[in-house]
Amino acid sequence: MSVDVKRLGVCINGKPIVRDIDLHISDGERVGLIGSSGSGKSMISKALLGLLPTNAQVSGSAMVGGIQVVEASEPVLASLRGRYVGTVFQNPASSLNPVLSVGKQIELPLKLHYDLDKVDRQARVARMLEKVGLDATIAKKYPSELSGGQQQRVGIATALITSPRLIIADEPTTALDSITQRRIVDLLVELVDKAGASMLFITHDFSVLSCATTRCYVLECGQIADSGQTAALLADPQANSTRKLVDAAHELTLQRK
Amino acid sequence: MRFIVRRFLLFVAALFVISVVIFAALRILPGDAPSVMAGLNAPPERVAMLRSQMGLDRPLAVQYSSWIDGLLHGDFGISLLTGRPIGSMVAARCSVTFPLIVLGLIVAIAIGLTFGVMAVLTTRPALRSGFHLLGLIGGAIPALWGGLLLILLFGRGTGLLGVLPSQGFPETGWDSFRTAFASLVLPALTVGVISGASLMRYTRSALGDIMHSGYIDQAMACGYTRRAAALKVGLRLTMPQLVSVVGLMFASMITGVMVVENLFALPGIGTGLVTDLGNRDLIAVQSELFMLAAFFLFIGFLVDLLHRFLDPRLRYAVQERA
Amino acid sequence: MMMRNDSHNRAEEYQTGTDLSDMRQGAVSSVERSANQPSKRAAKDRENVALGRGFAVVLRLIWKRGEGKFALTVMTSWVAISLISLFWTPQSLWKTDGYQVWAKPSATQWLGTDGIGADVFSWLMAGARTDLFIAVASVIFAGILGVLLISIMVSRNSALSNGSVVAVDALISIPTILIALILAVPMGASVMVVVLACGIGYGLNLARVARPEALLAANSDYVGSALSYGASGFSVMLHHILPNVMPTVMVQLSLSAGTAVLAESGLTYLGIGVPSGVPSWGHSLATSVKLIDVYPLSALWPGLIVTIVAVALNIFGDVLRDTTDPSSNPELRRS
Repeated sequence: MSVDVKRLGVCINGKPIVRDIDLHISDGERVGLIGSSGSGKSMISKALLGLLPTNAQVSGSAMVGGIQVVEASEPVLASLRGRYVGTVFQNPASSLNPVLSVGKQIELPLKLHYDLDKVDRQARVARMLEKVGLDATIAKKYPSELSGGQQQRVGIATALITSPRLIIADEPTTALDSITQRRIVDLLVELVDKAGASMLFITHDFSVLSCATTRCYVLECGQIADSGQTAALLADPQANSTRKLVDAAHELTLQRK
Repeated sequence: MRFIVRRFLLFVAALFVISVVIFAALRILPGDAPSVMAGLNAPPERVAMLRSQMGLDRPLAVQYSSWIDGLLHGDFGISLLTGRPIGSMVAARCSVTFPLIVLGLIVAIAIGLTFGVMAVLTTRPALRSGFHLLGLIGGAIPALWGGLLLILLFGRGTGLLGVLPSQGFPETGWDSFRTAFASLVLPALTVGVISGASLMRYTRSALGDIMHSGYIDQAMACGYTRRAAALKVGLRLTMPQLVSVVGLMFASMITGVMVVENLFALPGIGTGLVTDLGNRDLIAVQSELFMLAAFFLFIGFLVDLLHRFLDPRLRYAVQERA
Repeated sequence: MMMRNDSHNRAEEYQTGTDLSDMRQGAVSSVERSANQPSKRAAKDRENVALGRGFAVVLRLIWKRGEGKFALTVMTSWVAISLISLFWTPQSLWKTDGYQVWAKPSATQWLGTDGIGADVFSWLMAGARTDLFIAVASVIFAGILGVLLISIMVSRNSALSNGSVVAVDALISIPTILIALILAVPMGASVMVVVLACGIGYGLNLARVARPEALLAANSDYVGSALSYGASGFSVMLHHILPNVMPTVMVQLSLSAGTAVLAESGLTYLGIGVPSGVPSWGHSLATSVKLIDVYPLSALWPGLIVTIVAVALNIFGDVLRDTTDPSSNPELRRS
């Protein structure tokens, strides 16, 4: 599913957070959105999903799979979310419903969008758990009983259970340690590619971006500062903000390898 | 399971402590109960007579153990004034007060949850401030005054609309169900609306906080609308907190209940306690206070259990520590 | 679940080293202070100045908001009227006139007279001071009890802290009115019954509400480092833990003040609060209720006043909560 964002702007209580965002994702493409914290990355993903707080005003245009999400009504957006667009959030510990067992959690999008019987749904959940590398017995457990890596696998399973055409991953690895980070990114890329879905991968870490995406946009102070092939940007950063982020990535991880 | 046992032991310990406090308050605290009870300028003989009648001339330990012994056997003592067993007196009063509390709670929860959720979900600023104002003012009305306003509006005889009874309770009690129920409507509305306004403020702030959390984003990302996410996920997540609040509300509501019982002349616990206190019926007051305290401690026990049950994270957190 | 994990925020505050000593003082600065004995007095003075300035800043922030203006105006008038009533009321409180009962409002009796012919307006004025005393005294009592309980709850003696936590958890379900009733049996109806009952009830409540924040502070790294510098438990409590719970304590106490005024009216009506003959709003309300059938409007004023004052104190608490949260208030940091 393709995404086409033109001159998107988000204000919260009249204060602009992001403006003039132009962003394109083709079918089956993995695109990154990178920026330091506070640059407004999450606002863009929330705008695409219709998850902005009620005091936010959105301007411009954002087409997700041929639907204009900026002016779409809540039911239209809800029918898009979980069915055609799957989302993986930053911190599974504070986003997975703590009072729902893992199985019910993953089952939820199926329940909301498809008319399947219980046996069928549970079979799909079991297959999904296997795909993300989790044991089937985990379905009965609650999120608080799992490790951070396991929780994020549950998050990925929930996002992918309906085979959505677009995955939005909003800093999916930030809450994890570096080894788990790598495994989660690899898993996500593998599953997205296998399904032929598109992905918008949001992060502040170039080292993660390099394995997750082919092309990326650099966001600074709510505006797109740079864009291009991820590998090219990483090898030869031009814009100031890009260089800062690349330097940081080198300092922290890449150099040590 | 261990938690239940531990919490129950705490409940029993608290019961013991409160029984000692009540017992001591009537005997040891500054101020001599018999002379307060006999009234100002009472002859010393009357005070002495009252003292021996109440058994206050016996050693404290003997007094206390005989009282507790009676309580354990379901014997709450004999009223000094009427000579009737206190147990049956209290039972009769409970048949008025309990339905009143339950009705009040139903009104409070209905108002609190409905308006609280609406206040969170509405996007219209005017409606938002309207709910805000409603919560502020509703919770700040003295029960006495609120009851009065309702009498003036709806009370039979005095009220503008004059549709509901505003004084008394049928002699025949719940046998005449319609009259009995009707006489509880205004009192229950009074305490219900006041507590409901506070509950609404809690609901609004707790649910409002949850609505900004990742849990709601995740639920919406699965395909819920904001409204459905608030109702199906948000409310469930605020439940443990709201149960605690409702538990505390119980305790704060009882002041209002006692006031409206007196205002609407309902023969309940509150009216009874005030009468017994006025009649200086120490033994009755002592047992009644203890029963009230036991009731509220038990509610506290239940609320804590429910709270634990509603939040799986708490269950596991405790297991990990143990 | 709702416990905000703001330890991170706080750590940031301390690092930025802004002069936060007004409300929550920085751990770093006070560690330096205790290491630097000679300048202790100067530091103390600085701290007092900063505290006063912080207070002024908070008041200004509250005044800036529409609701805050209302709350502060009501509270100031309350204090002013209480003070005036000590020296002057339009009519003497004890001037009664058997021929002038339930009189209509007039030039001399602004709100009419009550059942024994006393001036309603004067009694309401005088009632202000009793209610002010009750609110202030019970809040002070609750504050002391609450802070004491919090200190025990976060103390390093685990038997003591666990014991106090369960005790508070169990006792919190005892309603204020029950405490008042227990106290009223030996003491009779008196202002002190209201003050003590409210103080105990709200003190317990305060301890329960502020405990999570106190624990968060007690388990924090800066407390650990202060202890490793050899600071005593008492000084850690005073310098590191209390400043962190102070905003919550202030908010809770101002909400409690409103509840105390409401409780006074209820307890007085039930005959276990302010004794007859002592002016109070609850007393005015209770006397007017008796003849509600005949003179319905007489109950309007005391009820209205109690409601307005309780609303003002609630608003004050709410606004205080918003303004003392430094993460949402850059102005408090800069000052």
